[in-house]
Amino acid sequence: MARYAMVTDLTKCVACQACTVACNAEWGVPAGYARTRVRSTPISGTFPHLASGVYVAQCNQCDRPPCVEACPSGATSQGANGIVEVDKSLCIGCGFCLDACPYDARYINPVTKKVDKCDFCLARLERGAEPACVTTCTAHAKYFGDLEDRHSDVFKMVYAMGARRMETSRVRVGPNVYYAGEQARADLVMAAFPPRPPRLLAAGEAWSRVLKPLVLAAVGATFVGQAVAFFNQLRNGEKDFED
Amino acid sequence: MDNTVSRRRFLGTIAAVGAGTAATSTAVNAENHPPGWSGTQRVEKIATTCEMCFWRCGVLANVADGKVVRLEGNPDHPLTKGRLCARGNAGTSLLYDPDRLKFPLLRTGKRGEGQFRRISWNEALDFLASRLKAIAVEHGPESVALFPHGLSARFFSTLMKAYGTPNSAEPSFAQCRGPREVGYTLTFGRELGSPEPLDLEESRLIVLIGSHLGENVFTSQITAFATALSRGAKVIAVDPRFSTAASKADWWLPIRPGTDIALLLAWMNVLIAEGLHDQEYITRYAQGFNELATHVREFTPEWAAAITQLPAAQIRDTARAMGAAKPAVVVHPGRHVTWYGDDTQRARAMAILTALLGSWGRKGGIFLPTPIPKGAFDLPPFPDPPRGRADGAGTRYPLASEELGVTNGLVDATVTGKPYPIKAWIVYGQNVLESIPEPQKTLKAIDALDLMVVVDVLPVEQINYADLVLPEATYLERYDSPSIVTTARQPFVSVRFPACDPLYESKPGWWIAKETAKRLGLDAWFPWNTPDEHLATIIAPMDINGEELRARGAVAFPGRPYLDDRAADSESPFPTGSGKIELFSRELENLGADPLPRYTPVEDPPAGYLRLIYGRAPVHSFARTQNNEVLNALMAENEAWLSTRSATDLGLREGDRVVLENTDGVRSLPVRVKVTEGIRQDCAYLVHGFGQRSKGLHRAFKRGASDTGLMTRVKVDPLMGGTGMRVNFVRVVKQTTGI
Ligand code: SF4
Ligand code: SF4
Ligand code: SF4
Repeated sequence: MARYAMVTDLTKCVACQACTVACNAEWGVPAGYARTRVRSTPISGTFPHLASGVYVAQCNQCDRPPCVEACPSGATSQGANGIVEVDKSLCIGCGFCLDACPYDARYINPVTKKVDKCDFCLARLERGAEPACVTTCTAHAKYFGDLEDRHSDVFKMVYAMGARRMETSRVRVGPNVYYAGEQARADLVMAAFPPRPPRLLAAGEAWSRVLKPLVLAAVGATFVGQAVAFFNQLRNGEKDFED
Repeated sequence: MDNTVSRRRFLGTIAAVGAGTAATSTAVNAENHPPGWSGTQRVEKIATTCEMCFWRCGVLANVADGKVVRLEGNPDHPLTKGRLCARGNAGTSLLYDPDRLKFPLLRTGKRGEGQFRRISWNEALDFLASRLKAIAVEHGPESVALFPHGLSARFFSTLMKAYGTPNSAEPSFAQCRGPREVGYTLTFGRELGSPEPLDLEESRLIVLIGSHLGENVFTSQITAFATALSRGAKVIAVDPRFSTAASKADWWLPIRPGTDIALLLAWMNVLIAEGLHDQEYITRYAQGFNELATHVREFTPEWAAAITQLPAAQIRDTARAMGAAKPAVVVHPGRHVTWYGDDTQRARAMAILTALLGSWGRKGGIFLPTPIPKGAFDLPPFPDPPRGRADGAGTRYPLASEELGVTNGLVDATVTGKPYPIKAWIVYGQNVLESIPEPQKTLKAIDALDLMVVVDVLPVEQINYADLVLPEATYLERYDSPSIVTTARQPFVSVRFPACDPLYESKPGWWIAKETAKRLGLDAWFPWNTPDEHLATIIAPMDINGEELRARGAVAFPGRPYLDDRAADSESPFPTGSGKIELFSRELENLGADPLPRYTPVEDPPAGYLRLIYGRAPVHSFARTQNNEVLNALMAENEAWLSTRSATDLGLREGDRVVLENTDGVRSLPVRVKVTEGIRQDCAYLVHGFGQRSKGLHRAFKRGASDTGLMTRVKVDPLMGGTGMRVNFVRVVKQTTGI
């Protein structure tokens, strides 16, 4: 089975945001929202000894995705190829997964009221095309491929050139989006945009065993509204996963 | 790879394209059906050319049920190979912008009030033709001026030449690239053109002087820049601001604004003094080396350090880096290069530096254009205009292009009535209130007009001053004159084909020009009936098949980019008077100008003021895209960059609202402050194109501050008439109340 990965070369990326707009256009993401975001770090240092970096953030299709864990309706799941998908027909728009994601990779589409995020352009992959952001990247800074394939660009960049994951000692969920380029640049990005510990429900341990079936039943019984209300209430009692 | 584009076999008649109709629809197959769209839609890919800026990237428009649902890069386009920048990807938001101009409009209220009456095209064009006829009788045809820009502008240029006026001027000359085209032509005998023929991919060192690549985005140039970076090319970024390019550079030189010529002279001094220049190349191809060597002897790094406020050691190091990397050095000539009024001389200095490094015509430097034959119509000769140009091109500004003209010269002539009155303006494809500095003067000129006609896509501010507003179809809805690009490694021709029918009552530029010509009895200059006839004639000598061009959007030819490719040619690769690279310029000497570039001191900002500098953002083009839904969401307004020191002195914090006030008391709209170490303390920076004052642009209206609005002063380049626009100073006024 393929192990899909994306690598962004931070040396090449010029923060042009073509990837963001191509993705918006490909997936009908409403203006003002994004599945792929480009963020520049603040300029650090003292004039004239300065540095800055760019971060291209999207869903990492994590190996241990807290969003899947957090989803009460079963809408978020991980396929055998590692891609984390949202089944829109099951999504109740509760937003738990938004809190759970350490990378803030998800948003709720204001039109559909469902959650949306990057899925490595799964539908494009299925027809043999690359993700839209990779195809359009003006700097050729984005690479996509299979880490199981020793000849792929991503394999070389991850294993030979040491592309890095945005992980900390506190947040280790196995992201499959990597960043290549000089260490210093990646360090700047890491310092500016570290992953945050996933926020799950206070009853985090128990809920997935007890509540998830309940909600699934609620969804099944079309009591979606009640389920949303119930969980929104619960959500106020959130706390950090690790703290 | 997403290269399996199903080629549209173009079966429709030629006229179908003329009418802007997406001809036959091929059935969707799983291969080319973009995801996310309804499976019942029939999707067709139409190859066309982007016009979100003027780089002319290749686009595939995915069209379903007559609607453009998605734009993507055309993998067959030789320059952009499937890539599009953010703006290119957002083109459908221009096409479907509800704010678009929809119908021809005739002004009913006073100028500037924005009161119009909807009229029919017939009425509009009859009105235009009758006014033009009357003006020709009363004042002579030369009293009509054209402000064109873009590919379709060619149709209007033909119209105006046939009508009998010499007065046509594009901001791309006097407000943008003019000084460099003049400066490089004086030196190498040919201009650079657009896209710039830069061999970035192969270069070992890229020198950027005020070029902020990355923020200033042209798809293929960014690709080449990034490729060079990943291959280990070094970068020297000379910029008072820590740009994206500076953040990638090996050397950032935060130069004191306006002193670039001093730096360039010092670089030449080091190259020559240390024998780091390409002597063989100079001996073979150039003249005037001894004069140059003598001239720069006194311009040491120490001399320049005092002027530029850069360390002498850094100037020396960077010169040595150039010497070591030669000839694979690109001294980027820049694009918008009208800064301080001595811009032709700065361009000369850059050209001479390029010559010293031996990089013109060499791998990794600047490559030579490869001409491709172009067909022409057998037109009657244009009538001789009764009087010469009013803008001073070729006379007052001896080196200004008579083809491109001097926009500000036309504004001046309109205001003063000298050398003769200008009574009408036709503005096509540009926004004179944002593209030309001193908008206050532009408004004064408009006030003096009998007739102002604007052909535009969006209701930008200038339409409020127009007598007649003609809504043009967007680039996705119209055919345009083919774009013939000779300055690429492989020259190519590409065409803008309509991807869908024009919305509302908008009409393509070619149609507007041709229909006007008809009413003026100038049909003879428009001897083609449909765009396809037009296209067929232009590509006739190119030995390509029109069907192939239509299916692929662009067709490339073999290039001969390097001097080595031309070794057997009998003609000199340097078509100057002497057939050599002219380090020393007799032509300038004859004009009484400096034959070798010289630094002339710049003013410092008065106490309490900062120099206003400006530039670009990757998601916007000029003042054209701020209303685009997607791009506006990414950047709705600009910020005023202030150094941490200036901000502290003024008691300002990041995000505070301020207005900028220039030395003439002109104030901007409120703008947020960005506090950063990434700018010199004597400067304030704005991204161009914001602070627009047209209510018709619902998203862009009054968002951010307009740099152009603050340009109440310019320094005009005496050689080519360009407006130096970095000579304005602003103070920062804290905004305590609401907007
Ligand atoms: S990045 Fe966020 S949304 Fe994507 S798989 Fe990881 S936790 Fe889930
Ligand atoms: S398109 Fe490429 S260069 Fe542009 S911001 Fe995205 S990753 Fe960076
Ligand atoms: S650089 Fe961007 S906006 Fe300009 S033509 Fe290319 S894709 Fe279009």
